[in-house]
Amino acid sequence: MRINCPYCGARGLEEFTYRGDATVKRPESIEESARDAWVDYVYLRDNPAGLHKELWHHGAGCHSWLEVTRNTVTHEITAVELAAKGR
Amino acid sequence: MPILSIRKEGGSVSNLESTSALHGFATPGRYGKRDGEAGVTASERKNLGLATVVARKGQEAALKTAIQGAYGADLPDGSRSAVGKGVRFIGIGPGQWFAVSESLANEALADELATKLQGIASVADHSSGRAVMRIEGPAARDVLAKGLMIDLDPRVFVDGAAATSTLSHMGVLLWRDGNAYDVALFRSVGGSFWGWLRDSGAAFGLEFVTTS
Ligand SMILES: [Zn+2]
Repeated sequence: MRINCPYCGARGLEEFTYRGDATVKRPESIEESARDAWVDYVYLRDNPAGLHKELWHHGAGCHSWLEVTRNTVTHEITAVELAAKGR
Repeated sequence: MPILSIRKEGGSVSNLESTSALHGFATPGRYGKRDGEAGVTASERKNLGLATVVARKGQEAALKTAIQGAYGADLPDGSRSAVGKGVRFIGIGPGQWFAVSESLANEALADELATKLQGIASVADHSSGRAVMRIEGPAARDVLAKGLMIDLDPRVFVDGAAATSTLSHMGVLLWRDGNAYDVALFRSVGGSFWGWLRDSGAAFGLEFVTTS
């Protein structure tokens, strides 16, 4: 598998580290009432068959965090963006 | 122990001779295939000024203007180099560059950059942490291909092109300078790099020379 890093170009999988679901959002609240949201955020993940947005770190290259859209069934990668986009 | 300078309260004593990153591992001479011209020649570019330049938040445009003004180089938005007055700037990541200089030797480059870029970039001296090996000759690409997973075809990896990647599992920054390839590696893997180079270059004939 190759990932087309927006900065470095196409590189082999061994240059990257998988860093999980890119869609989870850290809850704003740290109150007891937000417990369920925190359990969701820390532990619970969907396991979709199909398109998945995920984070990859280009540790052996430019050190960017990437948001990769990958089909979990075919491994086809349809989009790669810098996770820091717009910041 | 590679000691380039001893810093003392604001000043620095930099007259100590720098030690080759391959000292104790490699001796100059011909390795591998003996007949004919050497397919690959390797040398260490010693006493280079090496530094990283990282734009402060929101200061990338100001940094580019400052570098253009001071060195006449356009900082590239990608892994390639821009050669300015006495300094080569290589893109190593978004908002980050690796600077290389012969004329501003050792820590002089980082000192100058830090002074000129105050408030708009963070500058770190890498001159005592990295060694730069120059690989050239007709078989240079064939040798590098044994360790790198980068397409070095000259139509793709043009003069000035650069890549941060791994060479035989060692993290390296590689750039092309004319027909030569420069490889910046951590000094601490100098021995491992030499072992890789000696064995990978043997089939083509490797000439290892040192520079002053
Ligand atoms: Zn990258």
